[in-house]
Amino acid sequence: MKLLLYVFMQLVLVLLLAPLVDGIIKKIKAFSQKRKGPPLTQMYFDLYKLMKKDTVVSETASWVFRTAPYITFISTLLAFMFFPATVILHSISFQGDIILAIYLLGIGRFFMVLAGLDTGSTFGGMGSSREVMIAALIEPALIVVLITLGLIAGSTSIYDIMLLNLQGNSFILNPYSILLFAAIFLILLAETARIPVDDPSTHLELTMIHEAMLLEYSGKHLALMELASVIKQLLFITILANFFLPTGWLGSQATPMLSFLLALITYFFKVVCIALLIAIAEISTVKLRFFSVPNLAAISFALAFLGFMQFIILGR
Amino acid sequence: MQTFLDLLSVLILISAFILTATKRINSYIKAFQLQSFLLFLATFTLGIYNFTTKGFLDIFILSIIIFVLKVIYIPRLLHNTYNRVAYKVEKDFFINIPSSILICAALVILTYYSLYSLDGALNIHIKFNLVNSLSVVLIGLFFMISRKKAIGQIVGFLVLENGMFTTAMLSAQGMPIIVDLGILVDLLTAVMIMGMLVFKINESFDSINIERLRNLRG
Repeated sequence: MKLLLYVFMQLVLVLLLAPLVDGIIKKIKAFSQKRKGPPLTQMYFDLYKLMKKDTVVSETASWVFRTAPYITFISTLLAFMFFPATVILHSISFQGDIILAIYLLGIGRFFMVLAGLDTGSTFGGMGSSREVMIAALIEPALIVVLITLGLIAGSTSIYDIMLLNLQGNSFILNPYSILLFAAIFLILLAETARIPVDDPSTHLELTMIHEAMLLEYSGKHLALMELASVIKQLLFITILANFFLPTGWLGSQATPMLSFLLALITYFFKVVCIALLIAIAEISTVKLRFFSVPNLAAISFALAFLGFMQFIILGR
Repeated sequence: MQTFLDLLSVLILISAFILTATKRINSYIKAFQLQSFLLFLATFTLGIYNFTTKGFLDIFILSIIIFVLKVIYIPRLLHNTYNRVAYKVEKDFFINIPSSILICAALVILTYYSLYSLDGALNIHIKFNLVNSLSVVLIGLFFMISRKKAIGQIVGFLVLENGMFTTAMLSAQGMPIIVDLGILVDLLTAVMIMGMLVFKINESFDSINIERLRNLRG
């Protein structure tokens, strides 16, 4: 019963927080350009409006196009369930769930790519092929980072890694953790279609990757797809926040409610810090030429690999 | 303090990687400047530590010299050279960027395995710093042979020297100051002479591409 409650709380937290974090990043970017920017709650309004609208589906589209948004949304949400926002929300975890979570994201991406190809529009196909290329380039780095984290914690369960980090001997103090942090940060930028790889704010035909795949979607389907992409973003931010940044309030027996609230507030604060970092990265860099993306992937792989090497040399 | 020095040695290695990932001559110089600044921080920390515990002042003085020479003077010298030659972007490499980064990662593994047998009385941190700084030496060497333009090769040479200096500093607490000073003066003259050579090459060939030098053979 308690488990169900935790799952439910985590679900509500994700759905409430993910659009807000996107809003925060947009707001910081707007401030840097001396604009006021959209309100923080803009994405909720957008989603609400999209939910009310009719969906238009192309005549040539098959069932893949219609089911892809649901599969993408559900698999992304399910992947997030393995990443408890705070230690107390620990609900489902087992050995190896970090690999499962990453490949659940992979399923979502696979169906998104198929949907882009399905309608036969030129942009969809282009976006899909680019997305697959980036995914293939980024995946080795991600796996190396996860294996290293697993080696450090002696466990491939997300909860164990997180607990080890939050319990005091924080990862960020180790020399090699900086490398892993930087590698995951680059992976985040590439995976969530952020600026050095893809520009989330424009719909320019020649450069878009993520938006090109969603070009044919409308109404409810579009809302689900957008929600899935912000949840994915929050997932990577959560990896950074909970695996690397210190301090999370572990539950004390005396006042469970208070420590839970404190933990949530710290979690939120850490997420905002990472969002600030992302916004700074977006402000200070330009979009890379598509054929320069392998350089970025190579750098993130080298960082991840060096982190692994340093861990092997230094030991725990 | 040991953690801080470990961190700095990792960052110095990373700055060498950043150097191999860049392709503008401007960013070469910036990456070198960053690396020298990190080296300065490491030397400065060691200098303060040595002064407070043992009363030696020489490493501290050395760190100031490094700051003036490597962080301010040599980058400015390189900028002057760079402003007077025509080429801004290095378009042609022998090896493209992703594979050169991967080769550098392989160099780190090579260093690790060649130092692996060196057990002896080495403490783990010294071994760690030794691996990182010797990798910087190898990466500097690799950078020298993978770029075609003369300025790239000068920067490669400087990074190599940074690597050797880091090796001496972090794994042996510095060499005698007279040796260090000698190396630094050598370095300065070398960079100045190489800068002059770049001018000459640019004057006579209208380019600093060292492949053109073979034209002389006729």
